[in-house]
Parts: sequence; structure tokens; C-alpha cells
Amino acid sequence: MTAPADGATPGPSSDAILRVVAIALGGALGTLARYAVDRAIVVTATGFPWATFTVNIAGSLLLGVIVTLVTERWPPTRYVRPFAAIGFCGGFTTFSTLMVESMYRTEHGAAGVAGLYLVASVVLGLGAAAAGVRLARLPRQRPPDRSVGIPDPDTLGTLDRPEPPRDLPGEPA
Amino acid sequence: MTVVGLAVAGSLGAVLRYLVDRAVQARARSEFPYGTLVINVTGSLILGFLTGAALHHHLAADWLTVLGTGMIGAYTTFSTFSFDNFRLLTGDAAGTALTNMVLSVVAGLAAAAAGLALGGLV
Repeated sequence: MTAPADGATPGPSSDAILRVVAIALGGALGTLARYAVDRAIVVTATGFPWATFTVNIAGSLLLGVIVTLVTERWPPTRYVRPFAAIGFCGGFTTFSTLMVESMYRTEHGAAGVAGLYLVASVVLGLGAAAAGVRLARLPRQRPPDRSVGIPDPDTLGTLDRPEPPRDLPGEPA
Repeated sequence: MTVVGLAVAGSLGAVLRYLVDRAVQARARSEFPYGTLVINVTGSLILGFLTGAALHHHLAADWLTVLGTGMIGAYTTFSTFSFDNFRLLTGDAAGTALTNMVLSVVAGLAAAAAGLALGGLV
């Protein structure tokens, strides 16, 4: 990494360094989380690779949520995307394992499993990313209560009285 | 011990991905995600090689876990691949999305096959 040519900051900026640190931390956590799922789900040599499949679909959903929150919902942040998106989601999910598992199965008489695994991963990964984006775009408040506009006769009598006007006539503003 | 190795390898893989993506994407003046494609295909080749070597007992299982699962697993990414496909599809670039999906899978499988074969030769 080189310093900006303006001479104001010697060496890589602390911002650039912190971005890389955030990616490294997220990457380490994502890798450990993937390893934990790998250990928890037993997969046979030519069986359907549920561990990688689960990780990749869950990670695609999570990335859709995070990127949408960071770019559309939250005020600008500096290190959330490097840590959570590039670091964690990137380290959690894996493309190379999907390829090697598929090729291994193809070479060992389980081409059907490999084909299903590939198509399901690509299609459901895309669907999961789309679902994550939609999820993050949901309104922040709970949906409007339909009963608000149509008062329930049973509860009309118990409704709070309207607030008195705050600026009473004659009082100084 | 394996956990520490995995964490270190995973952080290196993620940072390497960031650097390679920036280097490739800076040269590609296109919305096509060349960076992720290069990362995923080269990673599939290397993981294939490590797996092939381990299957033929040229590489200890612990090293396959740290270098393969840890470093190359974190270097390559499926979530960005999925998100890019979604971004291209919703951005009226369905053809580009389809190209990315087919190219990534076909080139990734070929790279994994080459890696597995090469790993068995060492």
C-alpha cells in the first residue's frame, strides 16, 4: 500500500489500515463459524454437502441484509461493511469448497448429487440474497394498525381523551 | 491449535480476497464482477490441488484444514457471487448475471478438476 501523494499522511492512512483489520477480524470469525457448521453437520464423501450448502445460503441471506442496511437504512458507517460483509460473510461462505465437492462427487459416481448441489446452491443463493435485501427494506416501525382508522365500538369509551392544547390562549408563547 | 490456525488463515484469506478484488476491478471498467470471478476460479484450482494432495497422502489432514478450509475457504466467496447475481438481475442485466453464473461454475469446476488431478501427481 502506498501513501497518498498529498504528503499529509505518511504511510498508509490509519483508515485504510483499520479497514484491513476489520476485514481480517470478520474473516477469522466467519471462517471459525463455517468450521463450526462443518463439524456439526456430518457429510459423507458422496452425499449431499449440507454443511457447505447451509453456510452458503445463510451467508447469502446475511450479505443481502447487511449491504442493504449499510447502503440504504443506516447512517454512513466506516467499518461495518469491511467487517461484516467483506470479512464475515466472505469468510463464512465459500465458492471453492462448492466446486471441489461437486467435482469430487462427479468423479466418484455421484454426478446427480453434484448437479443438484450446484443448481440448488446457485438458485437458492440468489433467492437468499434477494430475500435478505427485502428483509432489510421492511419498514422500521411495526406495520400500521388497521384498527386505528376504524374505531372499535367496544373500546370507544375507554380511549384516552385528546390532549389539551399545549399553548393555552393568553399564556406567553 | 487448529482453531488458532483456522482463524489466522481465515483472516489472511479474507484480506487477500479484498486486495485481489481491488486490483482486478481497478483494471476492469465494467459492471461484470471480474474480481470475484478471478478469486473464485483461482481458489477452486488451489483448493482442488490441496485436496488432491491430501487424498494421495502428500498433505496432512491438519494442513488441508488450515490452508484449504481456512485460507482458501475464506479467500473464495459465495455470498458476493449470489449478491452480484441479484444486483445484475435487478439492474436489467440478466444476460450478464447468467454469464456470471455459468462462467463461474464452469470455470470453477474445470479449475477444481485440474487442481485435483495436479494434487494427485505431486
